Amino acid sequence: MSAERWKEDEALLESLRKGSPGAIDELLRQYQGKIFNLAMSILKNESDAEEAAQDVFMTVIRKADTFQGNSAFYSWMYRICVNTCLMRLRGKRRTETVSLEEFMPVFTDEGMHASPMDDWSKEVERNALNEELGRMIRMYTEELSEKYRVVFVLSDVEGLSNEETAKILGLTVPAVKSRLHRARLYLREQLSRYLREGKVG
Amino acid sequence: MNCKELSYMLADYFDGSMDPQLQEELDAHLALCEPCLVFTKTYQAVSDKARRLRRQIEYEIPLDVRDRLETFVRAAALKYPEKLDEYREQVQRERREMVAGLVKAAIACRLSPGTALLVKTHCSACPECKEYFDGLPKASDPGPGDPPDLIHSHMIRLLQSLPPGEEFFLA
Repeated sequence: MSAERWKEDEALLESLRKGSPGAIDELLRQYQGKIFNLAMSILKNESDAEEAAQDVFMTVIRKADTFQGNSAFYSWMYRICVNTCLMRLRGKRRTETVSLEEFMPVFTDEGMHASPMDDWSKEVERNALNEELGRMIRMYTEELSEKYRVVFVLSDVEGLSNEETAKILGLTVPAVKSRLHRARLYLREQLSRYLREGKVG
Repeated sequence: MNCKELSYMLADYFDGSMDPQLQEELDAHLALCEPCLVFTKTYQAVSDKARRLRRQIEYEIPLDVRDRLETFVRAAALKYPEKLDEYREQVQRERREMVAGLVKAAIACRLSPGTALLVKTHCSACPECKEYFDGLPKASDPGPGDPPDLIHSHMIRLLQSLPPGEEFFLA
């Protein structure tokens, strides 16, 4: 979180409170894409994500006046978004998610890697692969349960620090790290299998 | 350090929060163990790619959704000045209800484990809240009424630090 961004957010909040013209345009410009993306990555359904995004902006407008600024504005917004989405998921039948265990690395009794390892780290450097790889990462991420998905999306895709992610999700930093680690192990294994099968364009 | 232990430490390894001595051991292991080297490179490739392919991974907001959302938000914002008092009142009411719920759950011993721990930790550092919680009637009738402002504000902060979507009471 850079100091400039912090200042911009402060200014945005202030102009929202004053009802300054332009505040809403700025809010939308900066956040509607981010909020929709975050809602989609939790809800995985476009019309649900649209309704959730409306709720998020309504809550932000409603609470702008009472927001106490003990956290950064964007992390407050993300938190409202996660909260809104999890509320919507509650009571709904959850879609099937994978069990991570099957995708964790396997070790011998002596603690050595038990299966052969393909090095595809160079292969994925090819720019021609970007579209496909991005699609695959998104698809595999969707199979994770929200618990892991949200952490992976905020920390690895959005690039927030573990501390920022922890604050937004109300988790401890070690808890964020452990979820992030498992999500990465899962994706590593899924990508290995995918690339090994040679389905690459 | 064996391969299994190494695999547990990769998140720390890449965010630079590793103990220097352990990191030395890890690097020494990596220099000698081909499977771990490959495992580590591909592990790193996952988060590298996730960050670099952000555009491909993220969901782009469709134009029609964007339009509808803008219309909705602008309409809501236009009403902001006239609704400000109502919003303030709403937020106050929500907070009062949350605090009343917390107090009720505390009396009934139905706080969620996470909340109970938060309350306990807070009370050990805040004599005012400790006194308030210790003095809560064990029976819920008659109710204790709204707590004083200071305690109210502490409880709000406490509730706001709970993970999103988590209830503070047991079902």
